[in-house]
Amino acid sequence: MTDKNHMTLSRRGLLAGTAAAATLISAPGIVRAQAKTLKIGVLLPRSGYLAQSGQACHRGATISTKVLAGYGHSVELVHVDTESSADIARTQAERLINEGAQCLVGPFDSAAALSIAQVCEQRQVPFVINIAAAPQITEQGYKYLVRNFPTGGQLVTNGLNLIKDLLAATKVAPKSAVFLHANDTFGSAQRKAMDAIFPKAQMPFQLAESIAYDPKAQDLSVEVTKIRALNPDLVLVVTRAADAIKLVRDMVRQRFEPKGIISPGSPGLYDEEFYQALGPFADFHTYNLPWANPKAQMTQALEAAFKPAHPSNRFAVDCFNVGFTFEALLIAADGFKRAGTANGPDLMKAIKETNLADHVMIGGPIKFDEKGQNNGIISAVVQNRGRTPTVVLPQASATMAPVMPMPPWQGRT
Amino acid sequence: MHGRVLIAMLLAALIATPAFADRYVISVLILVFYFAYVGQAWNLMMGFTGQLSLGHSLYVGLGAYVAAGLWLHAGIGPWLGVFAAIAVAAAVGSVTGWLSWRFGIEGVYFALLTIAFAEFTRIGFDHIDMLGAAGGLFLPVNAEEAGQWWNLRGGPLLFYYLALALVAGATLAVAWLRRSRLGYQWVAVREDSEAARALGVDVFRAKMIAMLISSGMTAVGGVFYAFYHRNLFPGQVFEMGRSIELILAPIVGGLGTVFGPIIGAFILTPLGEALIAATERSGFNAPGTKAVFYGAALIAIIYLVPSGVWPWIARRLGFSEHRQ
Repeated sequence: MTDKNHMTLSRRGLLAGTAAAATLISAPGIVRAQAKTLKIGVLLPRSGYLAQSGQACHRGATISTKVLAGYGHSVELVHVDTESSADIARTQAERLINEGAQCLVGPFDSAAALSIAQVCEQRQVPFVINIAAAPQITEQGYKYLVRNFPTGGQLVTNGLNLIKDLLAATKVAPKSAVFLHANDTFGSAQRKAMDAIFPKAQMPFQLAESIAYDPKAQDLSVEVTKIRALNPDLVLVVTRAADAIKLVRDMVRQRFEPKGIISPGSPGLYDEEFYQALGPFADFHTYNLPWANPKAQMTQALEAAFKPAHPSNRFAVDCFNVGFTFEALLIAADGFKRAGTANGPDLMKAIKETNLADHVMIGGPIKFDEKGQNNGIISAVVQNRGRTPTVVLPQASATMAPVMPMPPWQGRT
Repeated sequence: MHGRVLIAMLLAALIATPAFADRYVISVLILVFYFAYVGQAWNLMMGFTGQLSLGHSLYVGLGAYVAAGLWLHAGIGPWLGVFAAIAVAAAVGSVTGWLSWRFGIEGVYFALLTIAFAEFTRIGFDHIDMLGAAGGLFLPVNAEEAGQWWNLRGGPLLFYYLALALVAGATLAVAWLRRSRLGYQWVAVREDSEAARALGVDVFRAKMIAMLISSGMTAVGGVFYAFYHRNLFPGQVFEMGRSIELILAPIVGGLGTVFGPIIGAFILTPLGEALIAATERSGFNAPGTKAVFYGAALIAIIYLVPSGVWPWIARRLGFSEHRQ
């Protein structure tokens, strides 16, 4: 009599058993790889000399989880302050990855971006840059990096081209302009770009002179006097908030009224303190920058989430930093959704293949070239109207028509 | 004797650390070593010779830019470039020193002069197109160069051991200098330069040598910085904040001591990192919170051990080192 219940180990049984055991052993890994939530480390300079912009970006990051959830993305964010230091950005990038961050986003600074990029490259963790303009970032051959922000040269080129559109739309024909810029790192870099790009841009006016100034000066009366003597139709400016206030105050004081004060791509003219310090004199200044599309449904969703979360800040003022930070998170979340895994190489491959038609900032779909640069970001003409940044061009995104020449200082309310 | 055994054991532990530490700890330790090294260099000036330099970022920046520029434009690797960096920094240091001490600029006026030199060099570098000007200088990160240690291309381990070697070398050099005839002259100058002169010490020469060695050593730190971060911006490497950063470790650790800068760096950098993690985990993640606690910790240390942490430790361990 043979024992039918006797357990024999057949070859097929062994194979099946091995497969089952392997499945069990590897289960945690599979569960981890197929996690539903992407853990993102958000590195921003919330203190230090870049704190103002870093905090605006942070406000965008804090509302992003909720907005992204509305679009079917699940992300967990870990917020880290880089203190405007490349050293801290680097060590904190290492820490975030150690603690399970599957993607890094940030850092509003080219030096910090390059420090983080080295860590991400070595650890094969995707890095999505929200804001950093140094062209070399995407020329270094990094494979785990994408940048959804224009380079410094692209910013100036787009900014100058939009001046032509603005002049065409308002039918103003200026003959000359003066370029006034802060002599700090950012201002000097913009001057360099301007010197290189302006002669090729075929602008319909002459650049009478470029004037550098110290942004820490008590006032800009000497510079304004000099500009007044040149009597240009346009003043092109690269400023920060504090010196932009001094500049306009001195222009009002000296009753110098150019047809337009235009920034071809810099902050300063749309900061909250600019509006508060200058009141009605803050209106009608124009800046050509990438901007949130007020007509996009995703921008409206972001604004709706922003208001209750940050009642003391205005979305219209913050939307440059908020929009780019949100989009960086969106790119990571979208890549994760398509990849179906947070495994670094697979997630990076998906991020590189991004093709997002619906997003926040004005411009075409978010796509990256082989170097990881999104070349489709365009600038908008934004004008201060009623002490609020208002898109006036391109027409498809504009909520008001541009005004030029600027109304006189006197009689403004 | 037991002090040397302890130092050997600590060194052995640091050599073995990468075997069990994760990359985050390694990256923090690289920063610790960097600050310990540049702290040693600055300590020669202030701690031993009594000359307060508040513009030592000048030599970090010069070293960084010279080596990076030579690598980018002439293909000269950092191991050779470091000599050019030392030469340039020492030359600038000697000009600063000569201008100051030849014309009797001392004390706070000397400190102001060092700040001025760093500041106008920063402005100058903002306009040197060949070195990237204000837009920054970037060292390429080609995949094919990965692992070329002779070009300082590598992962954290390369920089960890390099930084450790720098600190160990600098510490040995400083310990030797301290016991040398020159070291005693420095201390004499620091304590009373008139009395030192009366005793036959060539005060100007002693100060100039301190400046040359200190600026040259700091430039080596700059070369390390350039090839570790692989990008340089004048506004970041030459700024006043950098100078303050690199003098904190020797002040907290103990001015005029050999191990003060090392102890200071081992306290300050991990303290900063711990505070970032602690404020983040506590949910009290407001910007600047860490800076407040960091500042409070610094005040507490200076209040409790005004002559520095290392002399206090040394006394308790029965070691002989104290500020001469």
